[in-house]
Amino acid sequence: MTPSATPDSPLPPSSPTANNENNLQPFFVLHKPIPKKSSRKAPQSAKTRRKIDLSTETHKFNKSEGVKQVEQIVDDHLYQQLRVEAFDIIWSKIEITIKEVLRGININVFNEIHQWVRKSFAAIRSTAGTLNSAQLTCPYPLTIDIDCKKIFTGLVFTKNVEFVDDLLTFNDLSLHLKSQGCHVVNLSSLDFSAKSGISACIWSLLRQFVMVDPDVADITILASWYNEPDNFNNPLVVIIDDMERCNGSVLSEFILMLSEWVIKLPVILVMGVATTIDAPRILLPARALHYLEPCKFALGSPAERLDAIVEAVILGTNFGFDIGYKVAVFLRNYFLRQDGTVTSFIKTVKIACAKHFVKEPLSFLCRGLLDEDCHDFLLQKCVLLPESMREYAFSLPSCEGLDKTTPLTGESLASGISEIVKLKKNWSSVFMCLYEAAKFQKKQVVDVLCEALDPDAYRTRGSLQRRVGEVIAKSHSVDPYSATKGSFIFQVIRKVRDLPMKQLCQLLQVWEKHSEEIAELHEKVKELQSLLKSEEENNGGQADVAVLSKRLATRSYMNIQRDKGKVYDKAALLLESMIRDYLKPIECVPFHEIICFKDVDILQSALVGDPRRMIQVDLLKSHKVLLCSCCTKGGNVLLPSMHDTSIMYTLAQEHGDLINLHDWFKNFKSTIVRPCTNAKGKMRSPSSKKRKHSIEPEDLTDALVQARFCRAVIELQITGLLKMPNKRRPDYVQRVAFGL
Amino acid sequence: MDKQNSPQVTKRTTRASASTKPSKNTLPNQKKADHRPQSLLDNLVYGEQQAIISQDELISNFPGRKCQILELLRLFGPINSSLLPIFLYGGPSSGKTSIVLHIFKHLKRPFIYTSCRTCHNPRLLFESVLNQLLLHKKDSSNAYSSAKRCEKPADFVNMLRESLMEVVNSLRVNSRKSGLEESDEQGIGRMVYIIFDNMELVRDWDKDSVIISMLFKLYDILKMPEVGLIFISSNSPDTYHLNTGSVEPIPIHFPEYTEDDLYHIFLKTQRGPKLYSSFLDVVLKDSCKITRCIDELSTYFKLLFEKYCEPLSGIGRVPNQDLKSKLYMHLKPHVTPSLNEVFRVPSSPALELKENKEKVGKKRNMRSLGDGVVPDDIDFHMSVSAKYLLISTFLASRNPATLDAALFDSAGGGDNRKRRRKTSETSIQQKENAEQELLLKGPGTFPLERLLAIFQCITSVTDGVLEEEQQEVDVLGTEGGDNGLMSDVLLQLSTLSNANIIIKGGNCPLDGSSRYRSTVSEEMALKVARSVNFPLPKYLYRK
Amino acid sequence: MDAKQTQAAIEALTHLRNKICNRSSIFSFFSDSPDSNYNKLKFIVSNSVTESCNNSVLLLGSRGCGQVEVLDLVLEDLKVEYPEIISVVRLDGVLHSDDNCALKEIAKQLCSENQLLFSKMASSDDNTQFMMAVLREYGLAHKTVVFVLDEFDLFAQGKQRLLYSLLDAMQSVSSQAVVIGMSCRLDADQLLEKRVRSRFSHRKLLFLPPSKEDILRLLKQILTLPEDSTIPRDYVITFNKKLHNMFEDAQFKEILDTLSDADSSVHHMLNFLFVAVCNMNLESGYLSVENFKTALLSIQRPYKLESLQGCSVLELYILACMKRLEDKEQYSYNFNSVMTEYKHIHDSYRISDYYARNVSLRAFEHLLQRELISFVDNRGQNQSIEFRPVKLLISSHELLQGLKLYRSCPALLQKLMTGELNKMKAHLVDVGMID
Repeated sequence: MTPSATPDSPLPPSSPTANNENNLQPFFVLHKPIPKKSSRKAPQSAKTRRKIDLSTETHKFNKSEGVKQVEQIVDDHLYQQLRVEAFDIIWSKIEITIKEVLRGININVFNEIHQWVRKSFAAIRSTAGTLNSAQLTCPYPLTIDIDCKKIFTGLVFTKNVEFVDDLLTFNDLSLHLKSQGCHVVNLSSLDFSAKSGISACIWSLLRQFVMVDPDVADITILASWYNEPDNFNNPLVVIIDDMERCNGSVLSEFILMLSEWVIKLPVILVMGVATTIDAPRILLPARALHYLEPCKFALGSPAERLDAIVEAVILGTNFGFDIGYKVAVFLRNYFLRQDGTVTSFIKTVKIACAKHFVKEPLSFLCRGLLDEDCHDFLLQKCVLLPESMREYAFSLPSCEGLDKTTPLTGESLASGISEIVKLKKNWSSVFMCLYEAAKFQKKQVVDVLCEALDPDAYRTRGSLQRRVGEVIAKSHSVDPYSATKGSFIFQVIRKVRDLPMKQLCQLLQVWEKHSEEIAELHEKVKELQSLLKSEEENNGGQADVAVLSKRLATRSYMNIQRDKGKVYDKAALLLESMIRDYLKPIECVPFHEIICFKDVDILQSALVGDPRRMIQVDLLKSHKVLLCSCCTKGGNVLLPSMHDTSIMYTLAQEHGDLINLHDWFKNFKSTIVRPCTNAKGKMRSPSSKKRKHSIEPEDLTDALVQARFCRAVIELQITGLLKMPNKRRPDYVQRVAFGL
Repeated sequence: MDKQNSPQVTKRTTRASASTKPSKNTLPNQKKADHRPQSLLDNLVYGEQQAIISQDELISNFPGRKCQILELLRLFGPINSSLLPIFLYGGPSSGKTSIVLHIFKHLKRPFIYTSCRTCHNPRLLFESVLNQLLLHKKDSSNAYSSAKRCEKPADFVNMLRESLMEVVNSLRVNSRKSGLEESDEQGIGRMVYIIFDNMELVRDWDKDSVIISMLFKLYDILKMPEVGLIFISSNSPDTYHLNTGSVEPIPIHFPEYTEDDLYHIFLKTQRGPKLYSSFLDVVLKDSCKITRCIDELSTYFKLLFEKYCEPLSGIGRVPNQDLKSKLYMHLKPHVTPSLNEVFRVPSSPALELKENKEKVGKKRNMRSLGDGVVPDDIDFHMSVSAKYLLISTFLASRNPATLDAALFDSAGGGDNRKRRRKTSETSIQQKENAEQELLLKGPGTFPLERLLAIFQCITSVTDGVLEEEQQEVDVLGTEGGDNGLMSDVLLQLSTLSNANIIIKGGNCPLDGSSRYRSTVSEEMALKVARSVNFPLPKYLYRK
Repeated sequence: MDAKQTQAAIEALTHLRNKICNRSSIFSFFSDSPDSNYNKLKFIVSNSVTESCNNSVLLLGSRGCGQVEVLDLVLEDLKVEYPEIISVVRLDGVLHSDDNCALKEIAKQLCSENQLLFSKMASSDDNTQFMMAVLREYGLAHKTVVFVLDEFDLFAQGKQRLLYSLLDAMQSVSSQAVVIGMSCRLDADQLLEKRVRSRFSHRKLLFLPPSKEDILRLLKQILTLPEDSTIPRDYVITFNKKLHNMFEDAQFKEILDTLSDADSSVHHMLNFLFVAVCNMNLESGYLSVENFKTALLSIQRPYKLESLQGCSVLELYILACMKRLEDKEQYSYNFNSVMTEYKHIHDSYRISDYYARNVSLRAFEHLLQRELISFVDNRGQNQSIEFRPVKLLISSHELLQGLKLYRSCPALLQKLMTGELNKMKAHLVDVGMID
């Protein structure tokens, strides 16, 4: 959707309406109503219009896409079936990989935590000496050293304010620890609420450890359970997912209670901390704090996870599903701006995938791409394709590039697709090379990816590189890339030139690994490496000489510099050539639509549903939703036949954030009874029982109008659009959450 | 609360090992012990028969507690002499509980212990007392249920009386028996003592303090001279505001440890006393000025002592004068900072490595890419819109609502100076009392609307910035995915309040009545602002 | 010899302790005088037993003046005089202020009196009916039920259903019961509702704390060892002789005065005696004035001062800052304002010990824990501590005194409290140390 559709994205200062509304935006809510009404009306109306645009636009776009002529194909039953199957297979594969990736990220931390748990458990036991069960279950605290009274506490930093991802993580953690034989419970902040107090968390402790649900939350039960021989030899790990959300006093009470049982119950706390190291200090009072023997762990930051996932899914093994440039950008921005949770990222990808298989008629072919030699599979499928489908395939926008000679047969289609696959392979391997280079400057894979996927960027690059190549050939004096400031790829190339020797070697090795697929690249890399080696050798040799004769050394030093420069140039040029030849965005390839999902808007509407705005839009355009015969004809004019609530809301648009009930009522009434001006006479007719749709405006009693008014107001309140009048302004209702 | 017997850690281990052997082999004969008094003796008397501690040992175990111990011993008096209720009070970790326990270990008399912390509601308290009297242990055989169900104080008193009767009788029988066979010293007497620990917590249980007054009145209610009541509390009797005055039990005060008490206590924990004493000479005085709470001090000293010993090879050796001074010089820089930090979190070794690497990496990073990329130094991830929301909550909490209009005017505030200066001038006079206000009230609350308005302004101003900054960072045209930050503010809001960055009054985020308050510290807010290149100081009206 | 003496001393000690702890026996001492509460009460109860009429009486008086004990004596004696026809039901306001459980308790005790089976399941109505029935039976059998309501005022808290039903039942001629309320609120009968009060006979017995002479006599009576007992006779004689000498001692008298000035109730005095006896030196084997002196000190403690002594210097500084704020007529303050004051002091007087904010915050928490200061209200739970308004729970005089007693208290801190500070500052300004 275009930025102008959202209220807060910047509008080009050229358009006057945009300007004044930008001016007046703050006044939406900030100000008590001020006399100059007109100027305040403006934004309202502008606002409404904008909303309407939004809605209509989404409609429009749904109509467009030129999908119409394909529709019958799309809802061809058999193929639908196929597509669904394909989706299931492919998505399951993707999902599995994602899971593995995530586990892989966490596993190290988990092991670390486990070792720590064991260590602290051993420490506790050593201080405990040899205790018999009589002592361990005795009601009075054992008398021991201060340092032993501490409760070992692992603070796991999740590095993300959103805790959605971490719920899963902590479950995995508990599974991991359980598998290692510890007794583990997961508590959440809900167990530490002020309402239920300390009992709640002890209850859930008992429930999860002892598997009993006693009527009193008594920790001695836990003690006696723990002293049963088969429980006795393992630590009790208590995981608290989200420490910040716990009620401080309850948590501290819990800690203090544990401190009374400190040796008898070797409880080890693991707390997830979302924000900073200070969080525990802020949350807990000192007297609880000094019982903790903290130790700090950190999970992978969401950015790292994201990179890992992207590497695995989009670059890694070919899943027969791919995303276009815009989608990639959208994903990236959504992650950066809306909510930075991996969960939602995965969700997005899934939606994209599903949408793709629903909308793209030929997408069932993708399933073939999973296995290695997909060609013959494709072949047979494509040959069997019905005429309409084939036509559709060749009429794909991406096929305009195709030269006319190619026969519109299944074979050529198949070859085309398998061509895509080959390209994709090379592409991803080259991209990895690029990314390796990019790593040296802490670039995120997503950013690089986005640019690599951008077709126009590709074209511009093409033209630019030629020029740049010459420039480089001439001299290094001028920085040819100044033109392309901001482009990741060029930055990367530039950086390659001034890498330290060691890193360059590493880089080349990685390249070698990645470029195995592509023969000629492999060659180049190899020769570059050999060159580099020789450099180093004679570099060393020269050094010895340098000892002998200074002058000679200096000269040689200079020319070492030169050849080193040469090597770097070579590396840079190689990278460039790679990029030029192989880093062809998928969207520049014929038939890519079949495996590549490009449709941002669907994704957008699916994710950024923006329900509140939708509600308002629907209220303003109720007939679009209700599709009733009576109201559709009159576009924006209010008809008495419209639904009361929507009438009211439309009227409310006229007012500011404070709505005078009386005016509002008057307007409402006038709208309802507008058609007949001589309603006054018959007002008293007692037939107010009739249902709203059926009644003619004649027999509207005041009571009825008021009743309808009130109901509408209530409904608006329930939708959360209104705040009821307060004591200070008894005759005004206030709009809530205006900007939304 | 028994932290002060750190002194006897070395002793303790030996005693523990010594004590456990016998008590282990008491278990079987306890099983075959069929007649009640025997098992009673095992259960109510301190678990470890062999470990009789002499009075001297007792006193030497607790430095600086001599007079309290003696007074207690005097009050407990000779065997079979009854006891009026006594009330031990003194700050946390001043050794109330463990001294009492040790005294019972020393006297070998039957007692019952309940802590009002572990038993966190009346029912638990009652039932745990009864369970101990009835020698009932919760375990899987009885489905972890207690001997009797007892919730009301009235029932408790009745049941208590019954079970006490039994116990006392059996004790009488037993003591008569033992009186026959050996001299009275060996016997455990016919008194039963009930210890209520952490009494101060009971005050929070019931507002009309029924339980408290019941417990304090228990002696008069029971009218059993064979029962001795011992209350342990961290607050003095005068903080128990009881209705219609009540019989005050005999108070015994456990004062905070004096400096030299602490000195002795800490000295006893260490194996290298000489060195440690020199260490204590350095640190103890200053740290006592901050706190005399022993376990806080011990956490300090653990760290400091490591620092102190760094220059040395082995702890055992005796430091001479110049060495001392050397060590002192070494330690000096660390003292004040470590005193001034409340809670330090050492990170796990692997993480430490990683962090260091990152630090280095970051430095290099900074050096390498000079082109105006600000490294955001908040060490946890936040989506951009969340960041903006955080900033706007911060603003909404700090700025008076009346100034919003001035700050966020047409072009969104900061950048046209004139108006701002004017407003700031107007606000000068209110300034200091506003400061005072801020001190007292803390960050102000604000309704959702205001927050959203500010949020809109901020974003509308800075989206521009955001754009071009993005342009320079990458050529990705933002038209692709740039949906407004606005779209799901409410989600972000919930996120923030989950992370305790916003505190929300009221329940539903949409009904206007709920007001919010940002708890984020200023430096934090500034950090965040920097990470999104937002000129926060321009909008804070105090600046 | 010596060993024997200690043995004797121990025996004596045990004897005395048991005697003191068994309170009701002690009050028998008061029963002799003709117009004592003992006799009045005995008269009331006994003639309602003999006359077979209903009766009700309130025993008022400050706590620990022996209402309970005297009543116990009376009832025991009456039970001896009229065996079989008196049964007692004891309720305690602390335990049974809730009507239902009170009724339950009554039913329970009546059951146990008459060897009936008590069912826990019985509803409160059942219990009421049961009580009524029993009362009627008693009336017919000319037996008397004595209801003893300790903490009478607590029974008057709720709807007073119990009191009403009890007293109402007593209106009927058939029943025969005595209701004896005990309270340390002298206005206890004013708490009753009209309908209850109208049914209540306003007979009140006032229990006053004993006069000094009585106390002295009581002491004698308690502490003198009986000559006919297992304790060796010669020891007993010397013991009593020493005792009587001591009673004559002026110092001892003055100890007693200070004691009874603070709280002259018998219980308090018994506590005092108990501690004193416990302090008895077993080697010498006799009570001395010192024992009583120490006992007095350990009974009457300056709680606030004690906890002030426990504070660290930093905590004292915080207290001082709060005091200063109050001196400046700033009565609503919280941690932050205290901190600004602290900083201000630091800036103006260059105090050596100035600590980081969060350390001070912890010290602040300690003070809260000690209840030397407290929050003004319970509102704003979710707000962090440093913003919640607080107040001092210790008078400035106590604070000053505490600082004086505090060892190694910084001189400046004391000056802060007293007025001298301004002088000092002026001086500093003159010297030019600070501007």
